[in-house]
Amino acid sequence: MWEQLADLYATYQSTLGYIGINSLLALSVYTTLSCGQLALGSAGFAAIGAYAAALLTMRAGAPFPLALLAAALLPAAVAVPLGLPVLRLRGVFLAIATIGFGEVVRLGIVNWDYVNGAQGIVAIPQKASLWMIFLAVAVALFALGRLRGSKWGFALEAIREDEPAARTMGIATTSYKLAMLVAGAALAGVAGGLEAHFTFMVAPNGFGFGRVVDMLVFAMVGGAQVFWGPVVGAAFLTLLPEILREVAPLVGIEPGPLRLMVNGLVLLAVILFLPNGIVSLPQRLRELRQARRAAA
Amino acid sequence: MGQQIINGLFLGSIYALFALGYTLVFGVLDILNLAHAAVFMLASFVALALVGHGIPILLALPLAVLFAGLLGVALERIAFRPLRGRADSNISGLISSLAMATVFEAVALEIWGPNISRFPFGTVPETQFSLFGGVVSKLQLAIIAVAVVLFLALTWLVKATRLGREVRAVAESPRAARILGVDVDRAISASFFISSALGGAAGVLFGLAFNSISPDMGRSVELKGLAVIILGGMGSMPGAVMAGFALGLTEVFVVANLGASWRDAVSFAGLFLVLVLRPRGLLGTAALREA
Amino acid sequence: MHFAGRSSLFVAMALAAVGPARAETVVKIGAALSMTGPAAVYGATQKAGILAAVDEINKSHMLKGVKLEAVIEDDASTKEQGIAVFQRFINRDKVAAIIGPTLSNTATAADPLAQAAGVPVVAVSNTAPKGITDIGDHIWRVSLTEYQVIAPALKRMQARLGFKKAGLLYGNDDAFTQAGYNVMKASLEATGIAIVGTQTFAKPDKDYNAQLTALKALSPDILMVSALAENAAGIVAQARQLGWNVPIWGGNGFNSPAFIKNAGPAAEGVYVGTAWNKASTDKANQDYLALMKSRGVDPDQFCTQAYVGVHVIAEAIKLSGMKGTRAAIVAGFHKVKDLPTPLGTFSFNKDRDGDHAPSLQQVKDGRFQIVP
Repeated sequence: MWEQLADLYATYQSTLGYIGINSLLALSVYTTLSCGQLALGSAGFAAIGAYAAALLTMRAGAPFPLALLAAALLPAAVAVPLGLPVLRLRGVFLAIATIGFGEVVRLGIVNWDYVNGAQGIVAIPQKASLWMIFLAVAVALFALGRLRGSKWGFALEAIREDEPAARTMGIATTSYKLAMLVAGAALAGVAGGLEAHFTFMVAPNGFGFGRVVDMLVFAMVGGAQVFWGPVVGAAFLTLLPEILREVAPLVGIEPGPLRLMVNGLVLLAVILFLPNGIVSLPQRLRELRQARRAAA
Repeated sequence: MGQQIINGLFLGSIYALFALGYTLVFGVLDILNLAHAAVFMLASFVALALVGHGIPILLALPLAVLFAGLLGVALERIAFRPLRGRADSNISGLISSLAMATVFEAVALEIWGPNISRFPFGTVPETQFSLFGGVVSKLQLAIIAVAVVLFLALTWLVKATRLGREVRAVAESPRAARILGVDVDRAISASFFISSALGGAAGVLFGLAFNSISPDMGRSVELKGLAVIILGGMGSMPGAVMAGFALGLTEVFVVANLGASWRDAVSFAGLFLVLVLRPRGLLGTAALREA
Repeated sequence: MHFAGRSSLFVAMALAAVGPARAETVVKIGAALSMTGPAAVYGATQKAGILAAVDEINKSHMLKGVKLEAVIEDDASTKEQGIAVFQRFINRDKVAAIIGPTLSNTATAADPLAQAAGVPVVAVSNTAPKGITDIGDHIWRVSLTEYQVIAPALKRMQARLGFKKAGLLYGNDDAFTQAGYNVMKASLEATGIAIVGTQTFAKPDKDYNAQLTALKALSPDILMVSALAENAAGIVAQARQLGWNVPIWGGNGFNSPAFIKNAGPAAEGVYVGTAWNKASTDKANQDYLALMKSRGVDPDQFCTQAYVGVHVIAEAIKLSGMKGTRAAIVAGFHKVKDLPTPLGTFSFNKDRDGDHAPSLQQVKDGRFQIVP
């Protein structure tokens, strides 16, 4: 029995690790969503963090905690000059500008010989363990949870609900938005650094437009109204391919196209029927039941 | 040099056609329709399938374009209409369209597989002309011409027809338009029809031009399309066309002088600068900053 | 509970003493292939090769008492799923060996896990010179590295065409094509041939007119291209459309029927350095072509390398006493020598990389023909 459990753990260990990494990435998009900004630069920030950490451990022999610190600080530093001009833009324009930023980072890496371009950095020692990843997630959740109900939390909510009004009330909207962008950048950077030391390698093709879209989807499917929603979304969507792998032969469709189809349909269903994500499911069911009772 | 100009105009016309549809929906609904590239791709496959069944390309093209338009109407009905009342409708619309794009791609993958398909040889005549010291094919000229013609037709439609006026009214303010008696739902459906038809036309022409049709063929134009509509100004159709050609020419000359590695970096850096310095773009009029 | 456990143990021992009735050992081979995502084209053809090989080996009973079973999973061209698939193979399905993954980038992330767990991996499409077999002594490779194919092919091309100036065009956002370019560049420099211009493109690109026009203006004697099949067809077609008749030489990615199909008449005369000579008259190759034809598959290099990968594993099982365990297979690999395969006579070299003679082909009359 123990052997079976050990095998189960070994089989799903990497999936568990990715639940943690994807949670951090989802949270990095959430930080700006929580004040109503759709910033999609997290793939670029994750790339900066991943490469910084990898270069420090591989080329400079730095200890892993130091590399992780750099993975958090460097993207955060980059987020400031990025955010100042870009956070003035509304809605979709901010999204596009940050997507552009992510692409520029990726292209920079592809064209930089020092880091082997598209082939990436390989043979990175596996220094990130599961408990480290989950610790990072726990710390992030704790920090974001503390914001709720605090002066910060109220300010962020006010900005999300009605930014012009918030500004009129004297809230320094730009500072708050920038702080959230910086926090998100740090989270993404740490996720990148952990991933690099969990999967033995980094390459630019893991940090494209598709990746940041995944992160947004984790946050939205889980629920972007509460700080722990993105983690639920990340966990669900990271497990989904593994679940589908079991289900596919029973249904008779190849797992690949099935996975794409299910991803699309889940996302559509959530957006249309459960806009506040999976975490709002209990509440939604309650509402439906009440409505039915009222109608009866 | 002449050849590079031809290259640039040709590439630019593809970008312009793609961006026209994109910018139309944004101008009317304030939503970025990320399923546009998937409609682009499906139209190309449909045209391919029709040609495979013996239908001549001159008939297959309008049929595929019609299909694309109808797909756009369905897309609006399923993915955008239910979200209309919501406060964060442009973010949720973006995500909704993304979901539909994923579903479309999965369908294409299931039906046609991942391989690259091409139109059978001889679908379009291969004749070439010499122009300005360069070589241009009949097809390339046709595509440039089609882009210009469609743009003019669209401009006429929007400026001179009643439908066009209704669409513009809805773009300005859906509520006011409804009060004025405009059938807002119909105007929006029409916008999506036209937008997706344009995207479909771009897809079929792209498939003919490059003979490389696959479920992920939209990827190369998708992000460039974004750059084009920003440069041209969101919601501005002349802007989209001008910016499309400008981007095509710029990309070609960057490649010729700096190398292709710089090409995309230049596009995105340009996008970035425009957003930061002149978010309105060349000709846009949409409100872009917080009040 | 304990009593039931002990009694079932007793029954099992009794059965073992009596002897099994012609039991066959099932040896599972896990195949981590990209069935979706950018590398899906290659995954599909690899799957065909693997299934063909497994069926052939089982039907022919060449492994007495051993039945092969292929477990094929999709890694979605991402390292995240590649790792997940490897973990399943190692810990759940308990495979004896793993074939794949399709992409080099995924391999650098997933292979270390197999190495740590003592599971042999046979790379059948990873061609990056570093970072694959040097992960450890359980990682073996059937696909020739770019260096093994390009360097000799270049020498023969130079002898044949005598070019002095070369133009280079390669995909810089893909590990496979980038590695190919690095080798092309190094080989050209080693032979003292001038590189007059270098251009790049990205995998999703379809328009190469700007790059080709820029290179054409520099008048090289030969255009060398490192690209995957879908880009290859477009590049060649557009080069000819621009009226440029320079000899074109393509890397490993060109070696696919998809290239000829999509490029059409433009493919005529293109040279391709390849690990697989489709036109070889060797019996192993002809039998393979017949087998694939009977299965309705038009094989390409990736399909063939996957097919050979399975055969190499089977050979290793045979050479190590039909045991089919992970360690036995690794021991068997050390002994594989001059195995007849469609790729030629195959052995592993001391770096655990594949060793067989590469070929130079030219497209003539719509088919790859060997250049003698």
